[in-house]
Amino acid sequence: MEIGLIILAGAVVLLTLIVVAQNLQLQKALRKQHEYEAKPTSVHVSEPTVAQLETSLKAAYEAKIEEATGTFGTDLQTTSERLSEQVSRLTTTVIEEELEAYQQTLEEVRHVATQAMEQIHQAVEHQRVELRQGMEAELVEEKKQLAAKFDAKLGDVVSSYISESLGSGVDLGAQMQFILQSLEKHKDEIRKDLIGDL
Amino acid sequence: MTFELPAAVYSPQLLESVVYDIQYYLDWIRQNQIRKKVGAQPKEEPNHSAETVLVIEAWLAGKPATLESIEALLKYLKELELPEVHIMLAALPNHAQREVFVTWFRNNTTPHLMLSFVADRNLGGGIVVRTPNRIFDYTWKQELVAGRDKLAGIVRRV
Repeated sequence: MEIGLIILAGAVVLLTLIVVAQNLQLQKALRKQHEYEAKPTSVHVSEPTVAQLETSLKAAYEAKIEEATGTFGTDLQTTSERLSEQVSRLTTTVIEEELEAYQQTLEEVRHVATQAMEQIHQAVEHQRVELRQGMEAELVEEKKQLAAKFDAKLGDVVSSYISESLGSGVDLGAQMQFILQSLEKHKDEIRKDLIGDL
Repeated sequence: MTFELPAAVYSPQLLESVVYDIQYYLDWIRQNQIRKKVGAQPKEEPNHSAETVLVIEAWLAGKPATLESIEALLKYLKELELPEVHIMLAALPNHAQREVFVTWFRNNTTPHLMLSFVADRNLGGGIVVRTPNRIFDYTWKQELVAGRDKLAGIVRRV
């Protein structure tokens, strides 16, 4: 146990020593740095080296510029393409939507028109049927009336024909027998009427 | 007294003519009586129609004509109100045919009536009797019209 403590103490001392030593080295380095900063050193570069450096810098600058320009151009082109694509897509979508709405409206109008046409057709058909039935009924009725009129007028026609044919040559003497027979047949009626009047 | 107008006097016109004649005759009788009273020459007796003669003879029934009897006849005829029967035929009957009709009507219905005759050739034949209340149509035309169903049937069969 004591040995362990002793070893541990020794290690601690050793480590402390190491830390102190390193601290000293660090302080020394810091002092050197401060010294360098306090008194700058001038660097002497030769003319060819300056020219070379300028050339190199120019070249590097131009290269960077070209690179930036290229990148910008590429980005611009990509953005333009995307923008065009977007605009195209947007336009197409809008037109398609509008077209779809137009077609839908057109379809609705067509449907309404078709329904209206069907209703009109049905009404016309109904009217036609009614008219036809009415006309047929009227024709039948008219036919009946004409037949009745014809029957009614037939007697007149025949009697008129007979009287016209006889003209003024009516022989009353030839009719006397018929007339007296008619009077004899109905004498009771005539007598009754005349006696009732007295 | 039962007096019947002669068959020859069958119409109101004839009766009116007879009344006029008798009125004239009556005036003559009155004037003649006055002339007799004053001693004037009597006037000649006026002529009468055949119908008037028949009426006076029927009225007097063989008795002599007096002022009173003729006055009574005139009064009777003027007050006479007889029903009139109108006869319509296809042609106007002659005198003999008229007498046949008058006789038939007076014998078969009543002796107290008047007849008048009109012609309508459109009847064709037969007779129409119009009394004050009714019309009795026994014409051919009426017979044909009444049998129009038969006629129509015959036409349809043909």
